[in-house]
Amino acid sequence: MKKLFSVVLATTLMFAAVGCGSSTTSEAPAADAGASEEVATEEAMTIGLVLPTLTTEFFVTIKETAEAYAAETGLNIVILDSQDDAVKQSSNVEDLITKKVDGILLIPTDSDAVATAVEDLNAAGIPVITLDRSANGGEVLSHIASDNVAGGVMAGEYIVELLGGAGKVVELEGVPGASATRERGEGFNIAMDAAGIEVVARQTANFSKAEGLTVMENILQAQPEIDAVFAHNDEMALGAMEAIDAAGRSGEIKIVGFDASADAVAAVAEGTMAATVAQKPDLMTTTGIETLLQAIAGETVPESVPVELALVAE
Amino acid sequence: MRKSVSYYVEKYRPIIILVVFMIAISIMRPEFLQPSNLSNVLRQTSVNAIIAAGMSFAILTGGIDISVGSTLAFSGAVSAYMVLNNYNIIVVILVTLTIGVIAGAMNGLFITKFKLQPFIVTLATMTIFRGMTTVFTQGRPISFKSEGTGIMYRFIGKESLFGIPIPIIIMVVVYILGYYLLNHTSFGRYIYAIGCNEDAAHLSGINTKKVKFMAYVINGCLAALAAIIVTARLSSAQPTAGDGYELDAIAAVVLGGTSLAGGRGKITGTIIGAMIIGMLSNALNLMDVSSYYQTIIKGLVILVAVLLDREK
Amino acid sequence: MSECVLQMKKVTKEFPGVKALSDVDFNIYKGECMALIGENGAGKSTLMKVLSGVYPKYEGEIVFRGKKVAFDTPRQANEAGIAIIHQELNMISYMKIYENIFLGREIKTKFGKLDKKAMVQKAKELMDEMEIDLDPNEEVCNLSLAKQQMVEIAKALSMNADIIVMDEPTDALPESDVKNLFRIINGLRGKDIGVVYISHKLGEVFEICDRITVLRDGQFIAENKVEELDEDALIKLMVGRTLEEQFPHVEYGESETVFEVKNLSNQYIHDVSFSAKKGEIIGVSGLVGAGRTELAKTIYGAYRAESGQIFLNGKEIKSNSPKEAISNGIYYISEDRKGDGLILDLDIKSNITISCIEKLTKNTIIQKKKELEVCGGYRDKLNIKTPSIHQKIKNLSGGNQQKVAIAKGLITDPQVLLIDEPTRGVDVGAKKEIYDLINLFKMQGKTIILISSEMPEILGMSDKVLVMHEGTIKGEVDRKDATGEVILELIFAKRG
Repeated sequence: MKKLFSVVLATTLMFAAVGCGSSTTSEAPAADAGASEEVATEEAMTIGLVLPTLTTEFFVTIKETAEAYAAETGLNIVILDSQDDAVKQSSNVEDLITKKVDGILLIPTDSDAVATAVEDLNAAGIPVITLDRSANGGEVLSHIASDNVAGGVMAGEYIVELLGGAGKVVELEGVPGASATRERGEGFNIAMDAAGIEVVARQTANFSKAEGLTVMENILQAQPEIDAVFAHNDEMALGAMEAIDAAGRSGEIKIVGFDASADAVAAVAEGTMAATVAQKPDLMTTTGIETLLQAIAGETVPESVPVELALVAE
Repeated sequence: MRKSVSYYVEKYRPIIILVVFMIAISIMRPEFLQPSNLSNVLRQTSVNAIIAAGMSFAILTGGIDISVGSTLAFSGAVSAYMVLNNYNIIVVILVTLTIGVIAGAMNGLFITKFKLQPFIVTLATMTIFRGMTTVFTQGRPISFKSEGTGIMYRFIGKESLFGIPIPIIIMVVVYILGYYLLNHTSFGRYIYAIGCNEDAAHLSGINTKKVKFMAYVINGCLAALAAIIVTARLSSAQPTAGDGYELDAIAAVVLGGTSLAGGRGKITGTIIGAMIIGMLSNALNLMDVSSYYQTIIKGLVILVAVLLDREK
Repeated sequence: MSECVLQMKKVTKEFPGVKALSDVDFNIYKGECMALIGENGAGKSTLMKVLSGVYPKYEGEIVFRGKKVAFDTPRQANEAGIAIIHQELNMISYMKIYENIFLGREIKTKFGKLDKKAMVQKAKELMDEMEIDLDPNEEVCNLSLAKQQMVEIAKALSMNADIIVMDEPTDALPESDVKNLFRIINGLRGKDIGVVYISHKLGEVFEICDRITVLRDGQFIAENKVEELDEDALIKLMVGRTLEEQFPHVEYGESETVFEVKNLSNQYIHDVSFSAKKGEIIGVSGLVGAGRTELAKTIYGAYRAESGQIFLNGKEIKSNSPKEAISNGIYYISEDRKGDGLILDLDIKSNITISCIEKLTKNTIIQKKKELEVCGGYRDKLNIKTPSIHQKIKNLSGGNQQKVAIAKGLITDPQVLLIDEPTRGVDVGAKKEIYDLINLFKMQGKTIILISSEMPEILGMSDKVLVMHEGTIKGEVDRKDATGEVILELIFAKRG
């Protein structure tokens, strides 16, 4: 009997823990100002937000923006984390279908693997909009992402300005084939071609700081003369900065990154990095939610919505 | 002598925990018991349950295999590549399973022939298989469309037979075979004997090396079978697929009442363990529990379950 | 008459089903060396474990320095001044000599820092006193076994021990080191320390000890001064009574040789040859570590034979694993039921059929009904007392466990049964049943190789006795010539 009791007790305790966890999210809107409550009762709408991971600042910002939006408007937003696992992602989508949410904002772990999950949503008649990363399959009402090409051009033109129209430039590329890599590279090279500046080295560092460091070390060995580096994200830019620093060439080489991560913004303020292109995850999130709400209301929404970028420079 | 209540609690502990658990969830979230949700949960569970079935064999012999996640990634990548290139579906399945068998055989060989620690061997092969996957896929996902072999392959992951999703059917078949092997064949008897006392098993005339080798082969083969389901379900093989799956599988085995020291435990417990883990994620999602808390709760559940098991 | 520093009076220690000690008296005298002598299983180590607090529950009393004492843990006994130096030395190999000596009792400065200097100094003094020349900063793993033993003695001295017990101290020592050890023991005597010397080597006992206490079958037999005994008299005391009805010897009659071992050698055994007939019991006698179990396991294929041949029914057989040995008609029943004999966590049924389960399968399925029938048959035949055949082995008594171990062998229908210490940890009643089983098997014309450390068992059961020592066969004695004295003399022939 004692053991039976302990089993029941343990299970109860477990659910007490679950209860505590859940209350923190569901109470958040209620705790907010009374004004929003009317909206909540009127609409009582629930949407899902599926994030690929919560270990990157960018996605954490999206999560926090969505939570703030929910608190302000009384909209219910269920936020799920796929932990960089496509299988977990499709389980999350299935669970949201069971919950009968009114619509879903989806940031895929990977554009291909998300296709079946989108198909499931289509079959369940739940509107879906992708953020940041697109889906290669299924029917997505709208894709909302930073205008990476424009960001690439922005970074490129700033480098041209810094170099006074001439010099030798290195490009550190992201994961080959990823849309961000493709688009940022495209924009950057448009600017380089227009100014007639030579890109002396172009290599991938897979969006990773560690690889940014080693790849840049190798390039520094091979290229005696470098005036600027453009990295497809800040992690790689910061890695490259370490390598340049270690080689004692920090004064002569300008570094431009992408994403405006906290570390990169600080580096720009210190003057160790020349600039970074800021994505606006908060703007992207609110645009996404609003577009989704329009779609749920039956309005037609544009197939793709570019979100503007901003240059953060010294 | 009449058997006391505690005897039955002891004997059926995993299933009691599962039932109490299900009742508790359904009180909080009635939609949990919807057939469509239960079917979802079972399908979500199937991958971990199939890997955990294989893991049961390794753990029952007193060993462990942490390379299953990587085995899954590599065999899944090869299968996606073959589907993309329109190989016959039977060939795709056989080759995928064979890769699992070879991976398991490698582990088994190092563990039995060279008498290395299972943890160390599979730690090494885990990184090797992961590296092979990255090389094979060049770090990119391999995706296929619903055309040619892809149509049939996707069928495995998405469709149902007699209203039951195919992954669930595969899972049930695996467990029936596993149950039969462990409880009704001499091989199963030997697995338990080796797990309890390998020296005594050897002196009793059991070819302990062969039996242990086979346990790892089964484990590898089931990891590959899980890879087929994952790949078919996503129509794509990810280079990072299966990362951390070994831990979920080990957790399922332990939750099912199997001792990590080997020799003690049932495969029926493992499927219940896998279901508890699967239902936990589902229930936490249904209850809007923040993802930050979900992993903490999952860890606590495993701790509590193992604590309960300790008294045995 | 010297002063008695410690007295154990009427000590009785019972284990479930076995009386390990009954009414044993044991005295240790100040400044004297007391030998504790007896066959394996006589109760020597149990008595020492009672003394040192390993077994805190016993009947009788211990009087130490005039006061009644009871130690609950070895640590308490240690602190009171009783040090035991075990056969397997208790040292941490990668620590230095002085660190080992003061392990757990480190000398510290006022500020709680380890006072290395003081410890090294003290260790050096201790070793100088013992006239041994070692650097306290040396790591223990670099020392020979004899030197390690001396460090262990120095450690006992550092604790101001009144009593030092040495369990088989010379077992692993070369002759020259034995002399050195004796010199140190003499030194201990000079310091009024009471020494207990446990040994099988009777020559040494006569050389170094002042008195001898003899135990047999858990009972106190005699305490004598060394001068009052000679070696023959001592052996008689140890072996004791003549064979009792306990061992009903049966005659199989004339038969032909069926099993032959020729020049078998490997790292454990050297050039072992013997032969056995149908219906014959070959007893294998010797001290612990004589290589008897290793011989059996080599025949059984568990250890690799480097050279030599084994013949069964005139044909040479090769067994590279127990599995092959079983199919050749050989089975080995282990001395160590818990270690490698039985699978304690599995049930009786699974243990009995583990070696023959493939014969009970049909289309790979185990025929559980048939399995139950077969096991039930063996349970009845061997009189295994259990409420259910599904009971786990670990819940059975020693005797019943042994019967399961025998059933597990018999079910494979072997022609040669190697049975190792079949009655160790088995109570008196069950012993008799096991002897009857062995005889039954013998009368079916099978060959039995019986390894035992119990002399009466060997003498009572065997048709022929092989005497082993240090991996070789020192002699072969026929039943009619076999006595305890003859066997012990063969064992000790070399050193005597």
